Amino acid sequence: MSLTTLDGTSDVLDARKTYNAALAKRADRTRATWFPLLLLALLLAFPAMQFLGNYNYAIHLILFTASYVVMASGWNILGGFAGYISLGHNVFFAIGGYFAGMIFARLGISTIILAPFAGLLCAVVGYGIGQITLKVRGPSFIISSLALVMIVRILFDHWEFVGGSGGLALPANDLPVRWAKLPYYYAFVVMAAFAVWASYKIKHSKFGLGLRALSKDEIKAESAGIDTRRYKTLAFAISAFFVGMAGAVWGEYLTYIRPNIFLIILVSVNMVLICILGGKGTVAGPVVGAILIVTFNEFFVATLGASEINILATGLVMASVLIFFPLGIVGTLAKSGRLPRILNWD
Amino acid sequence: MSKLLEVSDITAGYGDGPSILDGAGMEVEPGRVHCIIGPNGAGKSTLLKAICGMLKIRKGDVRLMGERLNGLRPDQILRKGIAFVPQERALFPKMTVRENLRMGGFTMRDKAELERRINAIEERFEILGERRDQHAGTMSGGQQQTLAMARTLINKPKIVMLDEPSLGLAPKIVQEMFGIMRMMADEGITILLVEQNAQMALRRSDWGVVLDLGRTLFQGPAGELLSDPRIQELYLGGKRAA
Amino acid sequence: MADALQILILGLALGGVFALMGSGLSLVFGVMRIVNLAHPALIIGGAYVAYWGFKLWGIDPLVMLPVAALILAITGIVLYKLVFEREARSAKYSEMTVLLTFATAMIVEGAIGTAFTNTQRVTSPDYATDAIFIGDIFIPTGQLYAGIVSLAIIGALALFLKYSRFGYAIRATTQNRDAAELLGVNVNLVGMVSFAIGIALAGAAGALVSFVFSFFPAKHWEWIAVLMSLVVLGGMGSILGTVVAAFFLSVIAAFVGAWIGSTWSTMTFFLALFIVLLVRPQGFFGEKPELS
Repeated sequence: MSLTTLDGTSDVLDARKTYNAALAKRADRTRATWFPLLLLALLLAFPAMQFLGNYNYAIHLILFTASYVVMASGWNILGGFAGYISLGHNVFFAIGGYFAGMIFARLGISTIILAPFAGLLCAVVGYGIGQITLKVRGPSFIISSLALVMIVRILFDHWEFVGGSGGLALPANDLPVRWAKLPYYYAFVVMAAFAVWASYKIKHSKFGLGLRALSKDEIKAESAGIDTRRYKTLAFAISAFFVGMAGAVWGEYLTYIRPNIFLIILVSVNMVLICILGGKGTVAGPVVGAILIVTFNEFFVATLGASEINILATGLVMASVLIFFPLGIVGTLAKSGRLPRILNWD
Repeated sequence: MSKLLEVSDITAGYGDGPSILDGAGMEVEPGRVHCIIGPNGAGKSTLLKAICGMLKIRKGDVRLMGERLNGLRPDQILRKGIAFVPQERALFPKMTVRENLRMGGFTMRDKAELERRINAIEERFEILGERRDQHAGTMSGGQQQTLAMARTLINKPKIVMLDEPSLGLAPKIVQEMFGIMRMMADEGITILLVEQNAQMALRRSDWGVVLDLGRTLFQGPAGELLSDPRIQELYLGGKRAA
Repeated sequence: MADALQILILGLALGGVFALMGSGLSLVFGVMRIVNLAHPALIIGGAYVAYWGFKLWGIDPLVMLPVAALILAITGIVLYKLVFEREARSAKYSEMTVLLTFATAMIVEGAIGTAFTNTQRVTSPDYATDAIFIGDIFIPTGQLYAGIVSLAIIGALALFLKYSRFGYAIRATTQNRDAAELLGVNVNLVGMVSFAIGIALAGAAGALVSFVFSFFPAKHWEWIAVLMSLVVLGGMGSILGTVVAAFFLSVIAAFVGAWIGSTWSTMTFFLALFIVLLVRPQGFFGEKPELS
């Protein structure tokens, strides 16, 4: 039986269509696509400042922020969209870093070229791990992610081929100091832009819709015909991809790979914290969060120095955000309808 | 003279959610078995929860012998004499039968009296005496329901409310549960029963209440409800069973 | 053979300490459904109380134990009131509380580290370095004392839970919160008190840890997964299960350490945690899946 045989149904359908179109149009009008593009253009042009003076510190800060945007946007796909909180995503940061770093050390191929391959490797590993750990959810999943870090840390600490707990030094590039940071700067800015764009695309795809459905209620999502197992494993792989890419270039930028850089808890906490602070499950959240966390970190390191105070402050910020803004900045503003247009990237 | 329990036009719901009950009411006479029937989602369980204090009553009154019960905690209402056996039976699976019975008198001050009442219950329900040291979670569904119903007797209640006592039990066991219920009624305990199987439940009750969309539609003697063609058609699944 | 017996004894001695370290975690999870990632950091807090008592006034850590327990119990009440009470209505309660305890762990670590630096410490009463010899077998007295005290505390806790009125209330709330409330248990009070008891147990464990292991503020990260493995293997919320798991895994870890290499002995706990979570999330002693 076709719908048109019912009296009046087509009118209702038309009205519904017009209404939906109006809604979409309004969403388009409130979404400021130009802002992220402008931001990207500014960032790409920023290194020209090096002709005027020494802006290496600013370049380092932007690069650092961009690297966290890559990681947090990646984490957000699993933690924000699918609702699986991982405290162990630095494992992929390490795998990406070690894979690209080792090839760079042996064959001299730049990690910037290797980054996508490191990402792919992490995606494959992530897919495998996800097959196992995504069987449990909630607190069990969080604990399993912590156990994963512990296991991987012990393995890397004792794997002599990659330097054990001492790690390996990587050769620095031979560019003059003024330009030395720029390859990594561009690599991270481009990766960050790609990660944000990919989050947007995923969020608005059928896949992204499925992830959000399963994050609300996995059983209902499954009964609605979503292959939840495949969806969440894929989300795990994609998030590992981004974190791995960031790790790949990070090693060469620092000129060494070492377990106590890649596998410390603070790295994975920062990914989680950035997303929660900015707004879990939003596209702009990881960017807002990364800017705040990096600024905040610099402030504490610069004024107080000690790493223990840094840990104390990070913990306090995390607890206060969880208690007072569980939806994060972007999420809270969006809910109350006060999100500035320039931050509406969803 | 006031009724034993009077529920007048109450509105209630979960948390800040919508009102599930809106204009529900009933009158409860001492010693009778009252059966509340109605389709799924009509608010039957919600009504029991509202009476026993698990839900906040937004409008209307619940009065026990003229005394207003609104706003009291479940355990205060329990001490006033209304005991509730929820659908999931409210047992402690890793406690023994005896410990479960002790929990029934958690708020009692007189421990010796509590032990006396537990002993009396164990004598009366042999199965509970035999299994006093067994964990409640390892017993069969019927035994668990027996324990849950027997536990209400610790507090010497005036009213016992049973939410779907037959849930998940074999037909023969269901008869046993109704037997226990009848026995309690014969001792003068007033029963409020919610049952999915309305036909069977009405036949064992004295008074029937039809609840739909959170409102009380009819109430009257169970026999009249059973023979009313409208109620038969809408709520008792068509033709009357022989 | 004597070798194996020696390893077994060392494993059991360690298991006794781990049992107390894990049982507070288990209690808090059982009653409050909070996976307390800050538990090991709070144990370190207890260890510092014992350390300063010994260092400043020469008080034996076993005498400082009740003091550490009391100070930590108060900390627990403050934490509960400040952080966890308001989360009770949160829709994503279990997830939120894990993240909050994680933040708490960082706060505790950072606070201790800021106050006392990241230096390795150990309390050194005479018995800590002593040993009893039975033929060829030696038993380190420090671990022996710690194990005995630990089991005594757990035994007292078990009796309290089994026979006291408040123990009934705690067990009832653990098993069926709604039913307990229906029967007149003040579940909020039970939640707060059990949280405080759990944290007090962390303080007591810390006093024992202070002379069994050397410690520093960041040490708790190593223990999180170790303690989690005990609690998860023991069936989340079951204190008896946690104790059995502590002895079981410590003995295995001792053998792995002796026969394969000491670095792999901690790996035993991590792998056990990982495998149990994935093969049997409800643990081997729990009867129904508690975490989902």
